[in-house]
Amino acid sequence: MAVSGFEGFEKRLELHFSGHDSLGLRRLRCDALAQVLDAVQCTVVSAVGNRYFDAYILSESSLFVYPYKMVLKTCGTTQLLRSVPCLLRHTAELGLRLRACRYSRGSFIFPRAQPFPHTSFAEEALYLEERLPPSLAFRKACVLPSSSSHSWHVYSASAADDDDRLAAGSWSTFTVEVCMTELDRSLARRFFRKKGDERSGDAVGADMTDLTEIGSINPRTLVCGFAFDPCGYSMNGLDRDSYSTIHVTPEEGHSYASFECTGRWAGGRAEVLDSLRKAIGVFRPGAVSVSFCMAPNVDENQVRSAVGDALEPLGLSCRSQAVEEFPGAGIVTYQTFTPRRE
Amino acid sequence: MAEKGSVIGCHTIAQWNRQLQLASESGKLVVVDFTSSWCGPCRMIAPFFAELANKFTDAIFLRVDVNELKRVALDCAIETLPTFIFLRQGNIVDRVVGARKDLLPKKIELHMRN
Repeated sequence: MAVSGFEGFEKRLELHFSGHDSLGLRRLRCDALAQVLDAVQCTVVSAVGNRYFDAYILSESSLFVYPYKMVLKTCGTTQLLRSVPCLLRHTAELGLRLRACRYSRGSFIFPRAQPFPHTSFAEEALYLEERLPPSLAFRKACVLPSSSSHSWHVYSASAADDDDRLAAGSWSTFTVEVCMTELDRSLARRFFRKKGDERSGDAVGADMTDLTEIGSINPRTLVCGFAFDPCGYSMNGLDRDSYSTIHVTPEEGHSYASFECTGRWAGGRAEVLDSLRKAIGVFRPGAVSVSFCMAPNVDENQVRSAVGDALEPLGLSCRSQAVEEFPGAGIVTYQTFTPRRE
Repeated sequence: MAEKGSVIGCHTIAQWNRQLQLASESGKLVVVDFTSSWCGPCRMIAPFFAELANKFTDAIFLRVDVNELKRVALDCAIETLPTFIFLRQGNIVDRVVGARKDLLPKKIELHMRN
């Protein structure tokens, strides 16, 4: 185990806004976005958009901008939460109002390397408490435990409670976040650039996407992959109004990979479970955690057993399960898996 | 008449057809930036595309808003933006999807040589 190395575990921020025009957040100017990313200490390396949203690959993970939803996911020692005050200023100028905020992360492999305000979950929660508008009245911070030293940290703040949101029909999609460690060595090696290969990050990234069959996880998805130097890989996938994203830190001793996507449970569950299984199959990790965030009227028992069934063919057994309700943000599940001992 | 070395915006089918015709007559490479007002990444790469137009004065650089010229966007199978299409004699010879600053100049050089 390395004394310290690149932190793969991401910090994730999801913000929901309301407004009066069809473009919303997509009207944010390039320099406004650059300022927000500057506060976080990361930059755009690749960008693409479709009718529904814009997808950016960053020097440290990804950014997705929908008209009324933004998802910012960053790894390493980025100060993700510092994006919040900057973003609130710019969105106010556009006449957009913050309606909900959800911050989540796993447990850092190198927690002592994290800067303020990420030195502890208590500090992160306090930072948000002090900066989110009081109109987000429904708040909760919780650490979902597992049978290992890893936990899932969630902070949520919402202007509307569950009943309001269900009545408004604003809860059609779920999000699933998968964190993998102890990646299979030979599979992780595929995410190292070959010595002397001078091609761009996009070109080498496209090769990695093909070689690892990441492109086949969801055949409908347009995949934009990027290879970092000397190693590391990020991809954003676009499938109509759904995104998927994968980030890989392949170095031995602190290897890590994440997979995240959104979808609709009604009618879309088989596909998502299939994607989960294929994505995890790309890395054959020694440990996996799966966290769903979904509407409170989805049967979370069904979700948890479906995930267990999906991962079973990979030889993975569920070691712990935790569930928590967050007012206005939905239900969050947290399951951990390790390979079955034969 | 747009000055040499700048990006020409095509807002009507007539303008689009005219530019392609001029290019076919002169045998020049045409590079089209398919863009939209709803796309952040498109705005991000627009200044760089203008710089390329300035640099590669022997090629023709066009900009098409997919909402204005829906038919053209459909014919060129544009789904994700920005998409850059390379045309010779009215035929699509290549495309680049995404705001790829590294790849664009390389593709232009490649197709200008042919």
